[in-house]
Amino acid sequence: MMSLLKDPVLLAAALGTSLPFLSMAVILVFTRQNQRLSATISVGSVSVSLLSSLYLLITLYGAGAPVQYEFPWLLADDIVIPFGYLLDPLSLLMLTIVAVISFLVQVYSIGYMSGDPGFSRYYAFQSLFAWAMMSMVIAPSMLQLFIFWELVGLASYLLIGFYYEKWSASQAGKKAFVMTRLGDIGFFLGLIILVLGFGDLSIVRMNEAGQGHQIPQYLITISALLIFGGVMGKSAQFPLLTWLPDAMEGPTPVSALLHSATMVAAGVYMFSRIFPFYSMSPEAMALALAIGTVTMLLSSTMAMATYDLKQVWAYSTVSQLGFMVMGLAAGGYFAGVFHLTTHAGFKALLFLCSGIFIHEYHTNDFRIIGQQGGRKLMIPMVCMTVGALALSGIFPFSGFFSKEAILGVLANHPNKLWLGAGLVGALMTAYYTFRLIFFMLFPRGVAAAHGVHDAKGSGHGHDDHEGEHHGYIFWTMAVPVMILAGISVVLGFSQSSLESFLMGHGSVPAQLAASGGEGHAAAHDGHGIGHYALLIGAVTMALGGIFWAFMEFGRKGATQEGFLRAFPVVERLFAARWYMDAFLRAFLDKVIYSGLTNVFTRNDRRVIDGGIDGICFFTVAGGRLLSFLQSGMLQYNLLVMIVAVGFVVLYFLLA
Amino acid sequence: MRWMLLGPEVYTFLAALGFLGISLAGRPNSGRDHLAALCLSGVGVLLAASALSEDAILFSEVYRVDLFSQVFKLLLSVGLFLIVCICGEVREIREENRSDFFALIFFCTLAMMLLVSGNHLLTLYLSLELSSYSLYVLVSLRRARDMGVEAGIKFFLVGIFASALMLFGMAVLYAMTRTMNLNALNGALHGMMGQPLVLLGVVLTLSGFLFKLACFPFHLWVPDVYQGAANEVTAYLAAVSKLAGMAAILRFVASVGQGGADLVQVLLVFSVASMTLGNLAAITQQDLKRLLGYSTVAHAGYVLIGVLTLSASGYASVVFYALALLVMKFTAFLVVVKVAGNGTNLHINQLAGLHRRSPVLAMALMVSLFSLAGIPPTVGFTGKFLIFVAAMEKGHFALVLIAMANVLISLYYYLLVIKAAYLLEPEGETGPIAVSAPTKVLATALVGAMVLAGFYPYPFMEIAQAAVGVLP
Repeated sequence: MMSLLKDPVLLAAALGTSLPFLSMAVILVFTRQNQRLSATISVGSVSVSLLSSLYLLITLYGAGAPVQYEFPWLLADDIVIPFGYLLDPLSLLMLTIVAVISFLVQVYSIGYMSGDPGFSRYYAFQSLFAWAMMSMVIAPSMLQLFIFWELVGLASYLLIGFYYEKWSASQAGKKAFVMTRLGDIGFFLGLIILVLGFGDLSIVRMNEAGQGHQIPQYLITISALLIFGGVMGKSAQFPLLTWLPDAMEGPTPVSALLHSATMVAAGVYMFSRIFPFYSMSPEAMALALAIGTVTMLLSSTMAMATYDLKQVWAYSTVSQLGFMVMGLAAGGYFAGVFHLTTHAGFKALLFLCSGIFIHEYHTNDFRIIGQQGGRKLMIPMVCMTVGALALSGIFPFSGFFSKEAILGVLANHPNKLWLGAGLVGALMTAYYTFRLIFFMLFPRGVAAAHGVHDAKGSGHGHDDHEGEHHGYIFWTMAVPVMILAGISVVLGFSQSSLESFLMGHGSVPAQLAASGGEGHAAAHDGHGIGHYALLIGAVTMALGGIFWAFMEFGRKGATQEGFLRAFPVVERLFAARWYMDAFLRAFLDKVIYSGLTNVFTRNDRRVIDGGIDGICFFTVAGGRLLSFLQSGMLQYNLLVMIVAVGFVVLYFLLA
Repeated sequence: MRWMLLGPEVYTFLAALGFLGISLAGRPNSGRDHLAALCLSGVGVLLAASALSEDAILFSEVYRVDLFSQVFKLLLSVGLFLIVCICGEVREIREENRSDFFALIFFCTLAMMLLVSGNHLLTLYLSLELSSYSLYVLVSLRRARDMGVEAGIKFFLVGIFASALMLFGMAVLYAMTRTMNLNALNGALHGMMGQPLVLLGVVLTLSGFLFKLACFPFHLWVPDVYQGAANEVTAYLAAVSKLAGMAAILRFVASVGQGGADLVQVLLVFSVASMTLGNLAAITQQDLKRLLGYSTVAHAGYVLIGVLTLSASGYASVVFYALALLVMKFTAFLVVVKVAGNGTNLHINQLAGLHRRSPVLAMALMVSLFSLAGIPPTVGFTGKFLIFVAAMEKGHFALVLIAMANVLISLYYYLLVIKAAYLLEPEGETGPIAVSAPTKVLATALVGAMVLAGFYPYPFMEIAQAAVGVLP
């Protein structure tokens, strides 16, 4: 306790990460009934987290070596795993991102969720998420990271299923949880292999040993490949990507916080966390590059075929995550992390803006929002355009700089295929983004009256907020949006200072540089003529995408149909997510439900069906007993046992 | 104080006799009986704790008191105490049978205490039978006679079949080695494990333990018996009687299994079949007790993983998992018993709106199910982690992969239950569930224990490692 008070850094880390947990407990146990108090407690605790993360960032800005607090966590005598805090540039940056966006989203939610019967519960879950996410970010060992990684998944499950009256929401929550856990099987197995093969899960020591060739190559490759399973699940990489669009059934602020800015970025964060370790395995890096590329392209095509506001941003999140994985896997540590940072800002911005429209018009269909006069809401419309420009990678918005950085890394990769894919991705991103923007800015057939609300797709159940555009509810939502828009404008210019911070002495890539890693070369090699050609190419792609969208959706007399209308088969393919869900569903139905499970439960049904025929009590009682004895159930049961044991006996007698 | 050697056993025996006496005297008074049982089992826990450090081999080496047995006796006493805590009003058992119910539950616990100390095949067999016979009667005691009796008969028939196989296996082992003492077997079987007959004997002997553990292929009684028995009895079956099965199989395999590569193959097949069958069958269940029954079958598979490592770390992880299972399963059944206030079976849909009707019970259910599904930082996660690490140490990569896929499947159906409790709206009006203050405290304490033991397993692991240290 005393050491806690003497060391302000430790105090800030402990306070910042654990206060949200306390706030969750307090809200769940004591203040469920008092909505205003619950929100105050939650927002208060997350502001403390924000302040302490900013304090840590400023104090440790030039600290050099990472600050680490480790407490041994004993599982058994031979398994010791460190717990505590690891404060290095990467974790400090991510901690700040999480704290800022959590804070803004919680403030925004005061307005967005007002009047919801589950208001207190919502804030309790938000606090749970903030606690788990921040503890995960500053974890010094992979096991701690894994534990909080699962808790983050739990928070996501609870928040997606928040509107429990919506069947699809609870289904989506379950799907998200189970699908990400599928990836976590690999993650967990990878960790077990590392524990047994290397004996230590400390992130710093793992990275050092990986770089120093103290871990056998095959071990690195196997565990890296398995651990990448976790990235695939959490960051919705192919083929585990379909849960993320469905996760948009939750409240929009939740989508902004968890399913675009922070939680889904956890996979990419974990990847960059053990980047030096990971980059020692060329096989694993190649797989990650391929998966990232496929994910990026697939989800971009999906985004071109939907009319649901949040779905577009969801697909674009998946594709941008794929883009980050590409950047990292091509060796661009800084580029990947930088894009993670800027993406968190502008994607949260886009979702929160969309939230204002959805709150106002009770629909997710951006055509209807446009027809009903969505562009009259000046603040969100302007902010959303800012976010869209950043997402498309237009100068001077933040996305421009980070996309440029990743494309620079890809350009240095010997195989130019990846660069080509990246450029195509940039084109598609600009196209689908501005398809949406033009639908809202230049609606056709603005006939529908303002008051006619299409309730389809509306997420929440309160209607009486007409005329409160300038009340406090509107401003609690508008102010965070404006702050995020400001961040999206200026963040890009901090590239060089961020780079020196992240790549500085004692940080992860400094070690990489010593071993002559590819990423280092890529980061500093991009200032020749090729760089400018690339710059022009990328900007042309982005502007081309916008122009294309303008020709199809924006200009006067445009049909607003899009080129996909000419290829119905392709459009259906894109809209149905390349039939990935259908395939999964068919597999579940055919193989699991009607196949295996059916066989195993036939036993049950026969007993039950056989026994309910009787009329009076004694007949039933006697009938059931007799039917059990006579219908062959007993023989069947005993037969199973004999056959099973008999096989064992045969096996040994013959073997 | 050599009396303390057999303190827990003698005490439990006397308590059971006491209830038998009350039952013979007539005059049922369930309130008095419950209070007496609560006090007696509470003192029993203290007694078992104070007998923890006893160590001796008794009765011409057929009975062994060591740290391993004493730890399990303590767990059994705690389990008994917890079960008695929720037996305040056993609605589904007739008033006049209540003292019998308590007597049988004490007898059964006594038998299991003998079982965990058995050092001779016949001791193991006899105590296994004693505990099974108590359970047959307990299952049949249900007020709705048809359900109870049917379940009881099914249980009984499968049970005697398994014990017949077990006896046959013992006979084979005796024929091959001329001894039934576990220590002597350990020496005599050294180098003989490759012989088909020896292996046959070992595997057939295992069938009795596998029956107790509800493991494939002796799991067929589980769903019907879980469904047919009174809720409290099912809770006892699921939470407490599995402990003894684990202890017995550990001691037996540790004694005879060394160097048995083929035995590992057999256990591996049983383990995979058990968890896969259990989990897949559980998906479609609508009756919560049936669902938990299949989940028990699946968990028997996970337990076998730790057993088949044939290593000290694997055994220790099984002991830790025994503790974890006791707490997790008991918490889940605590909710079943309390929500089904009138003692009927609980359909999953009947959980709808539980988070509003009783937030404490809903939380307890959620944490226990997440723990069963192995979500960190609960005790279920730590237990599975330890078992998987132990198995990977021995190179059972494919097995661990299958087990983790199974854990994922299990998450699916646990989520169905949690969804019902938290996300479904009840049909029609259902008032809040009256939960007494002690129950609330108990539920909260159990939730705390699950999280605490998950976060801080070291003291428990230390005890577990010390306990398995005495196994050969």
